[in-house]
Amino acid sequence: MTAEAQRRRAFWQILLIAAGLLILTVISAGSVYLVNKAREDGKWVVHTIEVENQINALLLEVRRAESSARGFLLTRGPDFQSDHEKAVAAIVPALDKLTRQIGDNQAQRESIEKLSAAIETRLDQFSREMTFVKQGQLDRATELVREAARSNSTTTITNQANAMIREEERLFQIRSANSDRSQTLAASMTGIGSGLVVVLALISTWLVRRSARARDEAEARLRDANVNLESVVDERTADLREANDEIQRFAYIVSHDLRSPLVNIMGFTSELEELSGDIFRRIGSLAQVSAEGAPLAPAGPGEIVLEGADKQLSEDFSEALGFIKTSIAKMDRLISAILNLTREGRREFQPVKVDTGELIEAVVSTLAHQAAEAQAEIRLEPLPHIVSDRLALEQIFSNLIDNAIKYLKSGVPGEIRIRGRTKLGYAIFEISDNGRGIDPKDHQRIFDLFRRAGTQDKPGQGIGLAHVRALVRRLGGTMSVSSELNAGSTFTITLPIAWNESNRNAER
Amino acid sequence: MTQPVTIIMIEDDEGHARLIERNIRRSGVNNEIVSFQNGTDAMKHLFGADGSGLVQKGNALLILLDLNLPDMTGIDILKQIKENKYLKASPVVVLTTTDDSQEIKRCYELGCNVYITKPVNYENFANAIRQLGLFFSVIQVPPAAP
Repeated sequence: MTAEAQRRRAFWQILLIAAGLLILTVISAGSVYLVNKAREDGKWVVHTIEVENQINALLLEVRRAESSARGFLLTRGPDFQSDHEKAVAAIVPALDKLTRQIGDNQAQRESIEKLSAAIETRLDQFSREMTFVKQGQLDRATELVREAARSNSTTTITNQANAMIREEERLFQIRSANSDRSQTLAASMTGIGSGLVVVLALISTWLVRRSARARDEAEARLRDANVNLESVVDERTADLREANDEIQRFAYIVSHDLRSPLVNIMGFTSELEELSGDIFRRIGSLAQVSAEGAPLAPAGPGEIVLEGADKQLSEDFSEALGFIKTSIAKMDRLISAILNLTREGRREFQPVKVDTGELIEAVVSTLAHQAAEAQAEIRLEPLPHIVSDRLALEQIFSNLIDNAIKYLKSGVPGEIRIRGRTKLGYAIFEISDNGRGIDPKDHQRIFDLFRRAGTQDKPGQGIGLAHVRALVRRLGGTMSVSSELNAGSTFTITLPIAWNESNRNAER
Repeated sequence: MTQPVTIIMIEDDEGHARLIERNIRRSGVNNEIVSFQNGTDAMKHLFGADGSGLVQKGNALLILLDLNLPDMTGIDILKQIKENKYLKASPVVVLTTTDDSQEIKRCYELGCNVYITKPVNYENFANAIRQLGLFFSVIQVPPAAP
């Protein structure tokens, strides 16, 4: 998974969460608004019903007043009278209440004005009727009733009231429809919002699962890669080890097989040398014979002296043979050196606890003779204990100390100092001398096989330092030199304090 | 030598063989020297066609052996000689260029009597062979038959 894709995914997830929050807020606000609206609408519906009830109640009171008035006219019973009075008394407050209730509606206000005018007329008729009845003028009262019936005042009231009721019913229809719509709206808004939130949650979950899966896959790939890497490293290490072994075997066999013809070359060169001696003796004796003119008894060996061209020939012959022999000797030393190196390379190291102070003291004592000859003093400072291969350490220090003794300045008393300290799991040894030093341009060269530096006045094949560095590397350490010409040298060796098999495997 | 001891030289390098023979002669040893340049011929001579070694019954042998042969290793030959009841009493001198201490140890373990590394320095070489010759002139070699 690329970083770009990861960023995009994270961005989408944040966007989703933001969208979810936004939708929730909108739903909450919308719901509060819609619920309030529904409540409002409901109030209006209730109000309409109350108004209708009030109108009906008013009509009822009017009819009660009318019927009780008629009853009183017919029977003149005080029950009817009180009933009528009660009804008439209830009409005005009921009318007032109705007027207050419909104060919001212009059309109804106009209707109620007409209604209240009609009711007033009727009430006036009632009071006149009742007055006539109480005064006993029944016929006038009856006349009045007829007149009222003719003038349709009650019908007007009823019609007017019915018109108002119809108006209220229309309003009721509208308002209840409104209320219904608000409620439906609220419900559907909540529903849609919840749905959206659920969808967003689902998408979010899907995204999270996808990224989790991507992460798992990446982890699995990483694990595979690690396992592969390990096996690849193992494989390469095995290959390298095999190649190294192959080279060592090759070097061993080649140097061995080179030695065989060398024995012949050296052998027959020596035979030739002997033969040449014989030949030149013979030439000498023949020359003597021809010079003296008479054959002598067999010439005694040794006393033949060659003259002129013969002598020159003999010397040239010896010189050629001498060069051949020196070269063979040199070649033999090189082959032996390679053999020794391969033999060392094949030796298994054994980690043991070594007191390096004691070990170097022993090395120094074996070199005491050379040191005395070179007038060198070797000083040891306290040295650390380490776990390493004893023989390898002996070879390392003996080579370095031997070199230090070998390359001192002639005429100057030598001073060789060996110091040691530990740092971060490594032991650091310094072998310094006040000898002839090494030109910095040769610092790399001296570690190469068969390469030497400086004045070539000491015997050697140029193997020591190459060998030492190979050993130090196999022991998991490093080595370096710091030196100036004529200013002494310091060789620094860093070795692990606790070397073990795994180090060896890693180093090999 | 008091007995007609035959020296069997198994050496693939003609030059080496010649140098060895010369130096042995120079030391005054005049025994018959039979030389072989490969292991197969030498084995045939030592063990006979049937490989039993019976052909050498009654012969006094001294074997000079090089380890690096073209067709087999000298160690194999040494092993078979020392395992053969007719030949095992014959002294075997390993004379070779190999100076590996493991190899030397192995040869002695297998019953080699003397192990000599051929020095490249001819004086040393000649010296070694002459001393070997002197050694040949004094040692008693038993006949191959038990």
